[in-house]
Amino acid sequence: MAGDFHTKVLIKPGGVFLTILIIAGAGSLISGGCGKKQEEASGKVTLTFWHSCVSSTVPALNELIERFQKENPGIEIRAQYVPTGDALVQKLITAVQSKTSPDVSWIHADFLQDLVEADAIYRMDDLINGPDSLPRAELSDFYPALLRAAQWRGTLYCMPMEATGIGLLCNRELFRNAGLDPDRPPKTWAELRDYAKRLTLDRNGDGKNDQVGFFVPIFPASGPLYAWMVWQWYPFLFQAGGDVINAEQTHVLYNSDAAVQALTLWKNIYNDLDLKTFTIDYEVAFASKQLAMTLDGPWNIPRWNQIKGLDWYIAPLPEGPVKRATIVGGEYLAVFKQTQHVKEAWTFIKWVIRPEIQALWSMKSGYLPVRRAVHTIPEYTAYLENNKPLKAYVDQLDVAQAPSPMDYQGMKITVHIAEAVEKATLGRMDPKTVLDESAEKSDELLRTQVRK
Amino acid sequence: MSIFHAQQGRKPGQGWSALLFLSPTLLVFSMFVLFPVFFSFYLSFHKWNMFSADTAFVGLENYSRILRNPEFWGVLKNTVVYTLGTIPLNMSLALLVAFFLNKKIAGKKFLRTAFFAPVIMSSVAAAVIWRWVYEPNFGLLNYCLSWFGIPAINWLNDPTAAMFALIVMGVWKTFGVNMVLFSAGLQGIPDHYYEAAEIDGAGRWQKFWSITLPLLSPTTFFILVMSVIGSFQVFDTVYVLTSGGPLGTTKVLVFYLYEHAFKFFEMGYASAVAYVMFVIIFVLTLLQTKYLKGTIHYTA
Repeated sequence: MAGDFHTKVLIKPGGVFLTILIIAGAGSLISGGCGKKQEEASGKVTLTFWHSCVSSTVPALNELIERFQKENPGIEIRAQYVPTGDALVQKLITAVQSKTSPDVSWIHADFLQDLVEADAIYRMDDLINGPDSLPRAELSDFYPALLRAAQWRGTLYCMPMEATGIGLLCNRELFRNAGLDPDRPPKTWAELRDYAKRLTLDRNGDGKNDQVGFFVPIFPASGPLYAWMVWQWYPFLFQAGGDVINAEQTHVLYNSDAAVQALTLWKNIYNDLDLKTFTIDYEVAFASKQLAMTLDGPWNIPRWNQIKGLDWYIAPLPEGPVKRATIVGGEYLAVFKQTQHVKEAWTFIKWVIRPEIQALWSMKSGYLPVRRAVHTIPEYTAYLENNKPLKAYVDQLDVAQAPSPMDYQGMKITVHIAEAVEKATLGRMDPKTVLDESAEKSDELLRTQVRK
Repeated sequence: MSIFHAQQGRKPGQGWSALLFLSPTLLVFSMFVLFPVFFSFYLSFHKWNMFSADTAFVGLENYSRILRNPEFWGVLKNTVVYTLGTIPLNMSLALLVAFFLNKKIAGKKFLRTAFFAPVIMSSVAAAVIWRWVYEPNFGLLNYCLSWFGIPAINWLNDPTAAMFALIVMGVWKTFGVNMVLFSAGLQGIPDHYYEAAEIDGAGRWQKFWSITLPLLSPTTFFILVMSVIGSFQVFDTVYVLTSGGPLGTTKVLVFYLYEHAFKFFEMGYASAVAYVMFVIIFVLTLLQTKYLKGTIHYTA
């Protein structure tokens, strides 16, 4: 009978309600997942090290760690890979709460507010000036944009381990087919727009483009790629002479004329090429020769190298109305206060930033070095000559810039920018209007939510 | 009744041993269900970023921020659209399939398994597959549509198409459960009603409207209530397929909650969202019980 059946399968609706409520509460119960550090019987110190290096670079990291252990026999590094940046910050938070944090972790600079306010990490300055000190002069060798991002409210909390940047990835074959010089990338904004149009083709005449000239990276502002989208937009903002926030961090600047120009360029190309119907899996599109130009980062070099018959190169970004510029970002090392091995952790960090190790790490992983001294190493300069794509990224470091630091509410402000970019392109709204709207939200946030 | 009988018949001390046997479950239940329920209620009146040890009491501020936030109302609207989009489609499809599978047809068992398969599939894995089905350039759906000369649609990145795409996947994923429930309901209707109706000269439709539907109403009611709850809680497919985009058109309540809890680390605000959601679902369920109870016909 139907009635009997129900009594068997009927789950109490209350139970279902309860399960949703767990979502909010369970976070504090998720364990850090990582066991307590164990001291080896041999008296070796074991450092736990969490990171989210791009998976293709993990073998290089293992090599790096092996070399460190050979040179420092008393220290063993136990590296633990956490798949994405977002998962890493969530894991670090719960680990700090449950007192199972790693000794050292690879972090993004935008975690700093949370980590510092939780008093979870050491100030790098204390270690630099500590017993095993680092000469101040050495810091001036680092790319300043990287060090600036490693600070929170003017204090250095972490040390850059590697740098990344953005270049213009081009397909020579498609340039040639369109009658363009394959080795002459677009040099200005106007050329970028023009090339993008000329490289966009509807081969079978069905009204839908089979090949697209340039990919304007529009992703959902609420999705995981919002920061990646904004990060790729920043170089255009810089090229037009703009910045994200004022130095005092009291109000945002991303609705300036420069920002409107940068967003208008994106909007124009987006509309010219009818990108609304194009895939957002730009890597697949580029690999399958449906895309002629796209913005890309050095971590993808191994990927493109693996694809046979793909004739590609990395060009510097085109010059904007005000200047040449690209963006530089770093990934950083922080020492957690829960560690019992501050000395060893600092030994590791000091070792990683040594010029010869930076050169080695860059050659093995494809990441960019964090300091200029690598160029005095003949092995590295020779390597760059034979690896043009990496050289293109490294050369651009001279004009690389980072957005002004956002010590508070950086993530939400980035979301606000992402919303404006998405609305102006996909939503076909006026760039000035949407940037003003977003800027107002950000300013409101800075007025009300910032603790001084 | 049976519970009371058991209690009356128990020997002294039996309660404690029962508790002992229940304790593992009770422990897990209190840790992972009961505690979070109360803790998130507590949190909904506080400000907490998960990092810091201290929480600041803010009274009803989280709740008033939710109600004043236009984004919340947009998200609620999206959730309602999703619910209204999935439920009628889901229930009519489930009933239709159950109705035909209830007849003697070849391959009945295979078909039932096939229709039920999406239910037991991991929803994230299924959503990843659907992402490729919906892919504008390389996807199966646009490829099939192109046979009929229909131009490519960017299903997941077009603000007008994305919610529709989610609804279709949602129906595909969940209608199997309802199909099984309807099947059970159909089998529970005694044959003699139909025989009597046939003797009286009732046609196929008449039998369906006057016997099948009314006698199926307890099942239908149960499915409706559960579907409303389920649709309001949709999250994993949204997370994988659209992450709330494009332009926030598929941002639903649980996704909004997730965003505040695990992206912005506003645990207090997120907990308050959970409780607002609880109240909404609770009220909806009460309303359904109140107004639909009268239309339910139970078999004797």
